[in-house]
Amino acid sequence: MGAFQWLMKKITKVFGRSTNALFYTLLYREILKEVNEITNNEEESLIILREIGKRAAFESCERHSSIFKFMPGNPKKILDYFEILWVVVFGTELDEYTYEEIPKEGSKYNDYVLKISKCPICADYGQDLEDTFKFDRLKNKETEGLACGLCGMLESVANYILKIKRNEYRIQIIEQACITKGGDCLQFTCKIHDYKEWKELLDSNLQQKNIISTYFKETVEEEEILPETKLDIIDKLQEVISIDKLEEYLDEPLESLKDRVSDIIKDKLNMEPEHFFDYFRNYEDDMIRIIGYLGTHLLNEYGGLLEKFLKNEWLAKIFGYIFKQLKEMTLLFIPLDVIRDYNELLVSFLDGIAPIEMVDNVKQFTGKDTITYIFEGAQMALENLGIDFSELRENVWEELKAERENGLISSETSTIDRTREKVPQIINIIQQFLMIFNDILTLPIRVLISESHYGLKTAINSVISEEEGLYGSIRERFDNIFDQIQEIRK
Amino acid sequence: MNFSRKELVQTEATMNQVRNAVFHLARLMEKNGIENSKERLRKMGQNIAKTYINYWKPTDVITLANLKDVITTIYQKVLHSAVSIEINEIEKVIKVRDYSCALCKYHYEDVEIAGCEILLGLVSELITLISKESQGSTPLLLNPYEVIESRAYGNKSCVQAFKYKMKKEE
Repeated sequence: MGAFQWLMKKITKVFGRSTNALFYTLLYREILKEVNEITNNEEESLIILREIGKRAAFESCERHSSIFKFMPGNPKKILDYFEILWVVVFGTELDEYTYEEIPKEGSKYNDYVLKISKCPICADYGQDLEDTFKFDRLKNKETEGLACGLCGMLESVANYILKIKRNEYRIQIIEQACITKGGDCLQFTCKIHDYKEWKELLDSNLQQKNIISTYFKETVEEEEILPETKLDIIDKLQEVISIDKLEEYLDEPLESLKDRVSDIIKDKLNMEPEHFFDYFRNYEDDMIRIIGYLGTHLLNEYGGLLEKFLKNEWLAKIFGYIFKQLKEMTLLFIPLDVIRDYNELLVSFLDGIAPIEMVDNVKQFTGKDTITYIFEGAQMALENLGIDFSELRENVWEELKAERENGLISSETSTIDRTREKVPQIINIIQQFLMIFNDILTLPIRVLISESHYGLKTAINSVISEEEGLYGSIRERFDNIFDQIQEIRK
Repeated sequence: MNFSRKELVQTEATMNQVRNAVFHLARLMEKNGIENSKERLRKMGQNIAKTYINYWKPTDVITLANLKDVITTIYQKVLHSAVSIEINEIEKVIKVRDYSCALCKYHYEDVEIAGCEILLGLVSELITLISKESQGSTPLLLNPYEVIESRAYGNKSCVQAFKYKMKKEE
């Protein structure tokens, strides 16, 4: 599994609201039955359920639009990442599935057929007395099956991504086989249409349109693709630095990375890289602060997660203390050689794309200066995001002592118990972050050594396998962190 | 071999889209003149409970003494919610406060019903069914009372109220 897929799945799972899967499936069944109480027509009920699924998913996407900005904007890639769509919609892993490309003559994109052997929506349908929606009453063989609502959700998420990425293609997802209806698997057919074709397809399906407008007393027309308007620098960067390109970046050595950054500056800012960096000449310390500042804000761009996390007063305080601790301890813990390596990495990066005078000025900085500037920038960003550093005490123990003296910790047993239950998870999360920090410390020298030969991915994977190397180690630690967060959220 | 419902009890699913779907269903009901939508949602919860009990139940015997624990277990295991519970033995009312209700999160101006009406039906039916099946001398029956507060109405938490009675009081 690629780094992008892994990251997206983890983020979606951790920050969704989960329940028991049986409750989900039964609630889904009850929604269909209630729709059927209204329509008294099984065919129409399935069309309405699909529409409800589409609307429900669209609503969710609208609320979390920022996270979808980083998804791939190409319909073929979206289908390649079908597993992620499934996790976004359903929240559980897609177990066993096969994926087949069906050539389509005269079209830019082929059709795709997905066969999913285990369908959680169909699980044991028909075994219980309350499974009263009768599929044997369906007269039209073309009618979709029980997963049509899920299918509407998947289609809606896929097309939402294409829409916000200003792509002119749309994806049609049809449920072609359903286990409850007698199929041997859940089968989806995915067809990619250009926007004109898509609109014609929607307009031509008069029967479906009429059913939807009859029951919803309205139709929802998809907005036209807007012509590209002036975007801010983050939007422009996001067009190029999508997280689906994560693996491409990891494959590229420093020189290629420099070329890529130069291209971004030329294409998106209409400037020569040297001209761009010239703005920071004699303000190199500010430039490094900006790296810390923007780095922190960019982290937050992934769905505003950091900001949401820091909205909680206690979490903001904990994060603030960890940050303060790191700032103070970094220079004690990290050998000066390692800090020098980082500085050398920055100089190597700037060399050739920034004015010579600027590179010389950066060379004057000691590793300690660089680290201090980066932390100063990051601190400014964290203040923007909700940490009030002026309120933090000398250290976390002072804080705990003060809370006890003020009697602010609730005396309600259940609350204390719940908090106590979460302590091991919190400690584990902090521990894992510290271990990741340690892992990363060893990175720059490996990058510098391997840069001309193998690229960043080799450096990250070290000399062992991908699973056992630095990448594997960091991924394992993040797996652990996500698991602990999920435990706390329960 | 497809999933069984028993297997689904061991896994979890993300509710975000289905939670939204409940409110789209509520809109659909309103637009199509369904006047008893509150009862319909409770009925949905009761149907879920009738199937659910075939695959999982928190305990075999329910009494007033373990009622709080049983309700806490249902909310925790089925809905992944940590709730606080108050029992008023004079009025025979149980109030369950849930700060992260699985079915209500946003305030919708155009919907006048809370998603957690479904939970009133689910929890009361589960408890009543277990109680009826158990060999206890005074089975406890739980009925949906009302959703006192809901995040869907703009409150900070959902408060679901149930009325209980011992079977011999019938």
